[in-house]
Amino acid sequence: MKDPDSEAQLPLPSLARESGAQVIRLPASPNTVKANRLTANKTSLRTPARRTRPNKLWYALYLPQLTNLGPSQQKKYLNRLAGHMQSVSSNVSFHPQALACEVRSGLKYFGGIDTIHQKLKKLVEEQLQQWELDDNFLYAASPTISGSLLLARSGHNALVYRKENLRSALGQLPTDVLHLNREQGRRLHNMGVRYLRDIWRLPSDGVRKRFGSNIVDQLDKALGKAPEPTCNYVPPPAFITSYDLPYELENLDRVLPIVDELLAQLCDFLRRRDLSTNHLILSLLHEKRDSTDVSIGLRQASRSQQHLMLLLETHFSQLSIPSPVTAIKIEVIKFDSFIAESNSLLKEAVPELPKQNDSSLVQFMEQLQARLGNNHIKLVSNMAQHCPEHASMQLDYSDDSNRRKSIGKVRKVSNNPRPLWLLQDPVLLHINKGRLFYRKPIAILSGPERIETHWWSGADICRDYYVARESSGSRLWIYQEKGSVKKWYLHGIFA
Amino acid sequence: MHDAGSSDIDELIQDNPALWRGCDMAGQGTTGRSTGFTQLDAILPGRGWPEKGLMEVVTPHWGMGELQLLIPLMRSVVEQGKWILWISPPYLLYAPALVQAGINTEQVLVVKLDTSCKDVLWSMEKALQTENCGLVLAWQNWLPTKVLRRLQLAADTGDTLGVLFKHHDSEHSPSPIRLKIEDSYSENAGFNESEVTVIKARGNFRSLSANINLYQQA
Repeated sequence: MKDPDSEAQLPLPSLARESGAQVIRLPASPNTVKANRLTANKTSLRTPARRTRPNKLWYALYLPQLTNLGPSQQKKYLNRLAGHMQSVSSNVSFHPQALACEVRSGLKYFGGIDTIHQKLKKLVEEQLQQWELDDNFLYAASPTISGSLLLARSGHNALVYRKENLRSALGQLPTDVLHLNREQGRRLHNMGVRYLRDIWRLPSDGVRKRFGSNIVDQLDKALGKAPEPTCNYVPPPAFITSYDLPYELENLDRVLPIVDELLAQLCDFLRRRDLSTNHLILSLLHEKRDSTDVSIGLRQASRSQQHLMLLLETHFSQLSIPSPVTAIKIEVIKFDSFIAESNSLLKEAVPELPKQNDSSLVQFMEQLQARLGNNHIKLVSNMAQHCPEHASMQLDYSDDSNRRKSIGKVRKVSNNPRPLWLLQDPVLLHINKGRLFYRKPIAILSGPERIETHWWSGADICRDYYVARESSGSRLWIYQEKGSVKKWYLHGIFA
Repeated sequence: MHDAGSSDIDELIQDNPALWRGCDMAGQGTTGRSTGFTQLDAILPGRGWPEKGLMEVVTPHWGMGELQLLIPLMRSVVEQGKWILWISPPYLLYAPALVQAGINTEQVLVVKLDTSCKDVLWSMEKALQTENCGLVLAWQNWLPTKVLRRLQLAADTGDTLGVLFKHHDSEHSPSPIRLKIEDSYSENAGFNESEVTVIKARGNFRSLSANINLYQQA
């Protein structure tokens, strides 16, 4: 009754324990494999696969609980899990809600598939619990990626060591594992096709014609008849380098040449990976003290050694160190893709536009920020407000969102005269012998312009603005409060 | 034929600001950038502001129309796509007035008032060296000659115009242009006009002055 091939299917230990199913374990010792190979040769009519390359063993991990999440979330989670899977294999690939990694190469090192599985299970379950997701997952291992994925999706949690046994292992799976659309599934069902082995009984040309090449291709891949291109996991780049000084240095100028050398290493690293950086930290390590950290944030990601050096030099000129430096460390916090400046073939007749991201200006601004600090450089932007003190805003240059907000918006301004200078707080004006007085007597030239606003907020403003002239020659913007106290204030200077 | 040739030579000589011809250059040549005030163009060498260098504007106190004087210049700088940097201005810069004057506020940057003097001079020198800054405005009352020379050199390398606003004139300043704005009163214009004196300008023999209505736009 027993299918000879079913021997090769081993439920992995955890399932065996849970389900309590009777399993016949087939040890993967070379002797048995050879014996099995012999039986396979006898039983199967087809010639065995060529042995030029050692068989691979793909361990697939299927997480149905990810199906409900959005694509970006799924990608994020799979990326994290792929990072965990890297601890057992160097070759991890992405699939829909699933990951596959090659484990044959590490089988001997880890001491068998069971150890690898236990190791991964612990990591994956911990991670899933951390995300508050269901910590059950499906898995399988077989010589092809698609085969492993199909086995994992079916929930068999099977282990197939040899390619020859794949066909019988896969044949028992229901057609649902192929992830067909509803119409295809219905048509297959109506044709009496329930299991994958039923599809193999049909002529493949006919299946291709009726259902498209998807099904046949998937099955060919699963049996190892077709190549399986995969999208592999690439670990994120990281750059940390340090240099221990041969003797302690107190003079930062002496440190600079070494920093320059480390930066050369960094720029080389970036150039090879076609990256640039916009945030890095240089740490000066001291003995028995906390390190002095210099954080460099760039507005425009860069990999120019000269520019980074210039910024560091600017930082160093302001820096004081508590004790001599024993070592230097550079760590990149954030990478960015490198965007090269393209040269145009034809010289453009249009004059240089201000919007153009001019690198020399950006570099100058970064240098300025490094020296003065982030909140010392301001952009001015006018706001659609009647209230004079709210009609102009000083925004931080460093904040990107501010720049985006202020760019490209032309807000209407009043046609009445407005001064170039505004006083932070209006100055109370005295009245002396019936004349307004600031530093010298003031004469009103034009006005009034009534500004009445913010009555809804409680702090209502009702003012009459006048343009006035001080007898010394300055032109002032003054106002009189309307209401019970009719006081005069100086609010701006026309300059 | 001979006459035509000499007039060509005259023209060439006129246009070359580096050539000193031993005569008063006030209102001569075309090398300058127009100030926007015809009376002022007439008394400046090259008929306008110089392309680069350091300029000093002396006013007894802030608010005498010194910014109104520079507004046409600022407008042309912004039209060139260059930036204007205001280094520690004494009051808040008011954006609606800039918009009214036709200056794009996106190209205006302000370095805050509470910046130390050393940092102010450092950023001014760096800004003058940067070609993307068309105009650098700074409010510094007293600066040693050595510093002024250094700023002048920086402005020359960056092709930038730097303007220093101050209260007191110093006779031995190395800046190529020094201006003074004073209050004036005349019968027909009343208090509308200010007296702008060109104390020193490279190419001018003596100080000249003109009465200008600085608030003609306002």
